[in-house]
Amino acid sequence: MSLFTALSVSASGLAAQRARAELLAENLANAETTRTAAGGPYRRKDAVFASEPVASAFSSVFAAEMDGSLTGVRVAEIIEDPREPEKRYLPGHPDADAEGYVAFPRINPAEDMVDLMGAVRGYQANVAAVSAVKDMIHRSIELLR
Amino acid sequence: MLEGVGRALERYMDLLAARQKLVASNLANADTPGYRTRDIDFQREFYSLIEGAGPQPVEVSGLPVKNDGNNVSLDREARLLAENALRFNLASNLLRARIRMLRAAIQEGKQT
Repeated sequence: MSLFTALSVSASGLAAQRARAELLAENLANAETTRTAAGGPYRRKDAVFASEPVASAFSSVFAAEMDGSLTGVRVAEIIEDPREPEKRYLPGHPDADAEGYVAFPRINPAEDMVDLMGAVRGYQANVAAVSAVKDMIHRSIELLR
Repeated sequence: MLEGVGRALERYMDLLAARQKLVASNLANADTPGYRTRDIDFQREFYSLIEGAGPQPVEVSGLPVKNDGNNVSLDREARLLAENALRFNLASNLLRARIRMLRAAIQEGKQT
């Protein structure tokens, strides 16, 4: 039944928004991190979304042809903030440079919180779509009773 | 045996399902840069007699475009989501009444 394709589309939306929320939580957690595996302070990460044709669980050539116009979403890439780290004068800090400045991540918690709210709203919208489609599928099944 | 109203209801439900899929797709891509809202022209598709040909999605015009080239409106999609579910509910109840009527005719015929 073709309504199941709608469920996979919404599922891709749920996964993408969740991935984005995870990155934003990571940013908030690392707002003061001065040491990373790659060296230097932590850099703010963000997800870039791209739409892609949906792959249904029971995909056949015919179904793919009929649903070809439906697009789900995926995380295309994770970008790091290219801006220079913020320098703070902390001469006593172990990571301070010769002049006593420490490189801190350039993270604005307000910016991340607003993005996080957007991700949560997007997630909720996809959950609403899943439950509406599920209800329609139930109604169709009830026709058999 | 379900000609006329039954067939129309079936087509109506098919179109609602197709539309609901596009709404789900629009909602999933609410944050995708450059994505444009898509929908089907419900009236035209319903009256079009070309059976078998799937509904043609078209881009919706007149929606405000955000800075990233995306024009998905969560409010519009939420409204359509609820509206489609209700319409589908109504159509499925009507269709079930038709089927029940048919079944009653078969059952009553058996008893005499």
